[in-house]
Amino acid sequence: MEIIKKITTNKSIDNQTEIQKICLDKLQSSPLPSAKSEQWRLSNKSKFSNFLDYSVNAKVPKFETPFPNTSQSSIRLVISDNYQINLIEDNYSIKQLSEDTLVKYFKEQISYFDQNENWSDLLNLSLNCKKNTLGLKISGSKIPPIEIFSHASSNSLNAKTLVIFLEKNCDIDLLQVNLGKDNSSLSQSTFFCLEENSSVNHGVVSYGENKSNLLNSLNVIQQKNSEYNLGSLHFKFNYARFEIRIKQSEGNAKTNIKGMQITKKDEQISTYTRIDFDGPNGFLDQINKSLADDKSHAIFEGSIIVPKIAQKTDASQLSRNLLLSNLAQIDTKPQLEIIADDVKCKHGATISQLNEEELFYMRTRGITLTQASKLQLSSYFQEIISFIPVSKDRWDLLDKLLNEN
Amino acid sequence: MVNENLVKGVVKEPYKYGFVTDIETEKIAKGLNEDVIRLISRKKEEPKYLLDFRLKAFKKWQKMKEPDWAGLGYKQIDYQDIIYYSAPKQKEKISSLDEVDPKLLETFDKLGIPLTEQKKLTNVAVDAVFDSVSIATTFREELAEHGVIFCSISEAVKNHSDLIEKYLGTVVPASDNYFAALNSAVFSDGSFVYIPKGVTCPMDLSSYFRINSGDSGQFERTLIIAEESSSVSYLEGCTAPMFDTNTLHAAVVELIALDDASIKYSTVQNWYAGDEEGIGGIFNFVTKRGKCLGKRSKISWSQVETGSAITWKYPSCLLLGEESVGEFYSVALTNNLQQADTGTKMIHIGPKTKSTIVSKGISAGNSKNSYRGLVKMGTKAKGSRNYSQCDSMLIGDQASANTFPYIKSQQPNSEIEHEASTCRISEDQLFYLQSRGIEFEEAVSMMVSGFCRDVFNQLPMEFAAEADKLLALKLEGSVG
Repeated sequence: MEIIKKITTNKSIDNQTEIQKICLDKLQSSPLPSAKSEQWRLSNKSKFSNFLDYSVNAKVPKFETPFPNTSQSSIRLVISDNYQINLIEDNYSIKQLSEDTLVKYFKEQISYFDQNENWSDLLNLSLNCKKNTLGLKISGSKIPPIEIFSHASSNSLNAKTLVIFLEKNCDIDLLQVNLGKDNSSLSQSTFFCLEENSSVNHGVVSYGENKSNLLNSLNVIQQKNSEYNLGSLHFKFNYARFEIRIKQSEGNAKTNIKGMQITKKDEQISTYTRIDFDGPNGFLDQINKSLADDKSHAIFEGSIIVPKIAQKTDASQLSRNLLLSNLAQIDTKPQLEIIADDVKCKHGATISQLNEEELFYMRTRGITLTQASKLQLSSYFQEIISFIPVSKDRWDLLDKLLNEN
Repeated sequence: MVNENLVKGVVKEPYKYGFVTDIETEKIAKGLNEDVIRLISRKKEEPKYLLDFRLKAFKKWQKMKEPDWAGLGYKQIDYQDIIYYSAPKQKEKISSLDEVDPKLLETFDKLGIPLTEQKKLTNVAVDAVFDSVSIATTFREELAEHGVIFCSISEAVKNHSDLIEKYLGTVVPASDNYFAALNSAVFSDGSFVYIPKGVTCPMDLSSYFRINSGDSGQFERTLIIAEESSSVSYLEGCTAPMFDTNTLHAAVVELIALDDASIKYSTVQNWYAGDEEGIGGIFNFVTKRGKCLGKRSKISWSQVETGSAITWKYPSCLLLGEESVGEFYSVALTNNLQQADTGTKMIHIGPKTKSTIVSKGISAGNSKNSYRGLVKMGTKAKGSRNYSQCDSMLIGDQASANTFPYIKSQQPNSEIEHEASTCRISEDQLFYLQSRGIEFEEAVSMMVSGFCRDVFNQLPMEFAAEADKLLALKLEGSVG
């Protein structure tokens, strides 16, 4: 109940919005996710309660950009900066969604929410206020790459919400960056609707500082002939959860996911994915990589659900994990639930350490052990990083990671 | 498109073991309480430690909740509406098979189980369990010459009490889970095997479980101990008559392998599965676990699960000894409204331990077939390896196939590999076989048998042939 109290007594939320009220009502019945549910079973309890320790939206932090300067050709947005976005160029338009549209949309979404599965979204929407919500409607072609930032401020629990409607025949490159601060929690919920023939290359890069926490939830609905490519990277969080829910609402859509999480010290980072195929001819190719070092804990849980209607689905899921320390642990659980009979579904999972034979080979060629390990790690990382859009040119993610490790 | 009806036809073979033996039985009243447990214990003339074991388990069971995590849909079991002890009436002490009620022998004859002398040539020693009691064990003298003890667990309690006291409940503790606790409280009979040091059991041992009465549950308990450098192959078969009520079967199997010992445990489970509407059938909740205590010990589970309305079964291995090996080979076939939630747990505790999992699930009709497994590498399991492969075959678009592997590693110097795939009977392959003059049904059963080949190869000869036939029969009429 504490969390409810915290939200209701929060000074920054003077007037509760309709959405906040609905979410609070839902949270009243069971304020916290059930520790027995599959999605939350492995979640570290003390870290999770630490997530909720901070006061809500204490102050809106000033966004100081530690990043490469934006190039002329890309659009950079920061959630909570209160822009009025109305970019209409020759070939495309990016418009901000009206408040009514957002309320209507959220109401519909909330009606489908499951208390445990969508708890992160319920929390996000019950905490969030108007200024921390960004809704965009994008149409047209030749749209420049878009970068969107969410950030937390120290000693505070911040909630940010992003909604993107992608209209027919539209394709974009979008990089979403979630930044944690020292002693902070960030709740980020993203809702994506892809209309027919649209396509997205979506990158999600989240990294924090000491003792930063993150609940990152991503909900995607794909209409037919749409293509959704997701490259994600999570590292340097005391506690982070990345929840991906993708629904191919009519089938005939393509989804590619390449994700990676890196844990060190005593961090816990987990990725939960659920892909629903609600129509025939769906396609999924998913790889999730984890690397766990020191005393950390990395978790992956992925479900693929193929009901009777989803004939000719082709889905594959691979979980590859590197365990680098005696005290670290990795849990992985790829799942298939299939009723349709004419489908190709497979999954695989491996847990191991760096390949000794390859290390030996490199060392016989005069490469030191440290360098050889770095080389191996860089190829391990590269597969995912090269899939993250926009970042390639200006964000030296690979260097960043290799210097960390 | 493969003809649906034809395939359905392949799965529709009637259950041929569904007859009831008309025999006078001794039953106790329905219901479960401490008095019932004391009564069972008294009937079996058990020592005090065993009664205490039962009562302790019962207390624990009363505090436990029936597990629901497997998501199996079945009507609630009324544990007070079950008879916990039912035995065919026969003379007090049987010194030879000739004294066994001929009706019972006839029953096992009908089931194809060689109990009578003339059939002993098959060289398989059998312990036949009818409802709550073991009625006969063959080849005992021959086995005794090698020092092998093979008898019912009730006899073992009387004659080898030290072994029972030492090992019973050490692999599956009474509080392990709801059904194991229930079994520990009310277990009636089962088999006991002890292979002394250095002995390779001269013949396959086998238990045959038969449920005859419709209102009594079967709660057998099997304990197999393989001393240093010994080895044994053990087979288990099960059938039940067709009743339109559900019968509960909650068994516990415990295996213990010491240094260099090896135990191979094979099951062909063909309990009555209920009719096409899902009426009747056995609820099969079984806890099977082996402990590789010794260095280089090996436990291998192979199972063919075709019967039961509900199957809830995860034969597991605790790999404690250095370089110990655990194996699990499984074929689970579900049809009509059957539900099977089966898999294994491989817990790597000792260093350099190895495990292999091969699971094949075939779901037809409106059935639900799930693989649920756990592979865990503990912090001391340095240099350990696991390989898992789970394949599912779907027949028809109403059946469901699920895979839930849990993988957990706390040891960087170990390797885990898991792969799973789903397929259906390929039309191209069917067409090819048919174009070579092979009948449709035969082609389907050839393909199913090919799909299960990896597992069948692990079964002992007698079982492999039976399993192949069984699958073909079960599938008759369901592929299309």
